[in-house]
Amino acid sequence: MNLGRYILQKTGWYLVALVAAVGLNFLLPRLVPGNPVDVIVSNLTRGGSITGEQQQQIYETYVAEFGLDKPLWEQFFTYLGKVFTGDLGTSFANYPASVNDLVGQALPWSVAVQLPAILIGWVLGNLVGAIAAFRGGNWDRSVFTSSLFLSSMPYYCLSILLLYVLAVVAGVFPVGGAYSLGLTPELSAEFLWDAVSYYWLPFLSLVIVFIGGQAVGMRSMAIYELGGDYVNYARAMGIRDNTITKYIFRNAMLPQITGLALSIGTLVGGALITELVFNYPGVGTLLFNAISQNDYPVIQAITLIITVAVLLANFVVEIVYGFVDPRIRAAKSGEK
Amino acid sequence: MSHATTPPAPASAGTKDRSGLLARVTDVRSVYGGGEQDFTAVDGVSLELGEGEILGLAGESGCGKTTLGNTLAMIATPPLYVLSGTLEIDDEVIDLSTLSPADVKRHRPYRGSTVSMLPQGAMNAISPTVRIRSLVHDVMRAHRTGVSKDEALDRARDRLKMLEMPVRVLDSYAHQLSGGMKQRVITVISTLLDPRLLIADEPTSALDVSSQRMLVEMLLAMVEQRIMSGVVFVTHDLPVLSQVSDKLAIMNAGSIVEMGPTRQLVEDPQHPYTKKLLSSVLDPTAETRERGRDRAQGGAPAPAPSTEEAR
Repeated sequence: MNLGRYILQKTGWYLVALVAAVGLNFLLPRLVPGNPVDVIVSNLTRGGSITGEQQQQIYETYVAEFGLDKPLWEQFFTYLGKVFTGDLGTSFANYPASVNDLVGQALPWSVAVQLPAILIGWVLGNLVGAIAAFRGGNWDRSVFTSSLFLSSMPYYCLSILLLYVLAVVAGVFPVGGAYSLGLTPELSAEFLWDAVSYYWLPFLSLVIVFIGGQAVGMRSMAIYELGGDYVNYARAMGIRDNTITKYIFRNAMLPQITGLALSIGTLVGGALITELVFNYPGVGTLLFNAISQNDYPVIQAITLIITVAVLLANFVVEIVYGFVDPRIRAAKSGEK
Repeated sequence: MSHATTPPAPASAGTKDRSGLLARVTDVRSVYGGGEQDFTAVDGVSLELGEGEILGLAGESGCGKTTLGNTLAMIATPPLYVLSGTLEIDDEVIDLSTLSPADVKRHRPYRGSTVSMLPQGAMNAISPTVRIRSLVHDVMRAHRTGVSKDEALDRARDRLKMLEMPVRVLDSYAHQLSGGMKQRVITVISTLLDPRLLIADEPTSALDVSSQRMLVEMLLAMVEQRIMSGVVFVTHDLPVLSQVSDKLAIMNAGSIVEMGPTRQLVEDPQHPYTKKLLSSVLDPTAETRERGRDRAQGGAPAPAPSTEEAR
């Protein structure tokens, strides 16, 4: 089997997984006891100002809108058609706002705070972990202890701690939100400068924990690799330490690549607690609000996006792994 | 502690020039631990090796052969510490002790060029993510500043051709080579810088008999062609050593108990431990198997001398 055929086969399996995930995503809200539209309509009419006739009209509009009066299989194909044309539906809680708009507004905030945190945390964490393993002694002890402490700390604790120390006590950063009141999100220097001051706290609370986790993982892998025969042989041949470190780093980073890809895959789901602590308008906050309001289209859309992103990340990992580790490439392509 | 009971003697056969002394190793002491609970692995070993000579270092597992090999190759790392010992080679006296990280750094220029290592675990001696050609270049530029990749590869190609090995192995990763080929490729890399002394640590242990023969013949050819000037061949495989080495040193409990020309030592061992070790070798001939059966019918053999008795 050659590499091209392997990729094609993997693509097929991932498509099967995607269809299964989309099916579950469609089915789960519909398995909840009761009709979601009943919940929405009863929420809308809770004030008592709507008559029974109006209530019936609203109900029928929603049922027609979401196709709930049709058989399940027809609903599924309607749903599939909409999903594949990029139409994620209409929000229950924010009717008539489209889910596309809601997610589209929230996603950039989540990506902007998480992607740099994940990438910087991954690079720094792995470097620190590898150096600690290679140098050993006090360097290793102090790096390992502090990394273990940081990675063990629940990130919402660190968020609250940073919020209290840096925002409440020191007043260096704003307490919450993503930008100052009165400003509208736009690509202007004034807005970006303002948003950066709100950006630091959620960014720091994520990146610090991520550095700790990566450093602990990399250190363990690098220590394992340090005992490898190839390290002893390289030393016996007088190869310089920095070259040997590169050998170790390349072998030890293989599992770390998986971690990176999965982190990037799940970032679209938002850093739920961090966003709530800092009142950051990302996907995490949107998901939290949607769950508390039974806003199934939004929940479905976000879980679908997370599913697709994680599948995509896994797929990329499998391909990238083949390029980084020649043994896996050989196994995949059947080469000898 | 005991030293060699037989003084180093010139080798007996072959066309090699063994007029000169290649290396003198004096009073090597290596311990594991480095604290009060030290375990002495090599206890005051001294030996000499002539130009073009192959010295076989034999003994049972755990006797300190590999530790002595690592000490001579200057790759001792904690928890192994070399407390004392010198290696005199090419009019240079190298202090082998590794009591501080500075000592380990001091040894780097000698490793691979003056004294090289053919390791025990050659199967995993190449990083799985590094091509052979990259390793070749890394070895060359570690000792010759500014050497280009092409120059390094040219040298490796010449060496492979000289040893009648396929040049395409340079493009391979370790997993793409068979066990025997991997061992021979490692041998080529280990001797790329024409080291004066090669420490071959159980290079044939993991190989089948035909691969063993190919490797041994290759090593003999390399010594003949003066790619390296001498070999310390560490193994517990006495039949291989009796074929390869000019001189044998028998190690027990960290010390060399007997040393001498191979034929003399095999045919007329003096030390009780050497006798015990030689009598333990399995012989595949029918006559020996018959003797073994007779012994078994006649009762249990007499107990072998203990380590203390042997020393």
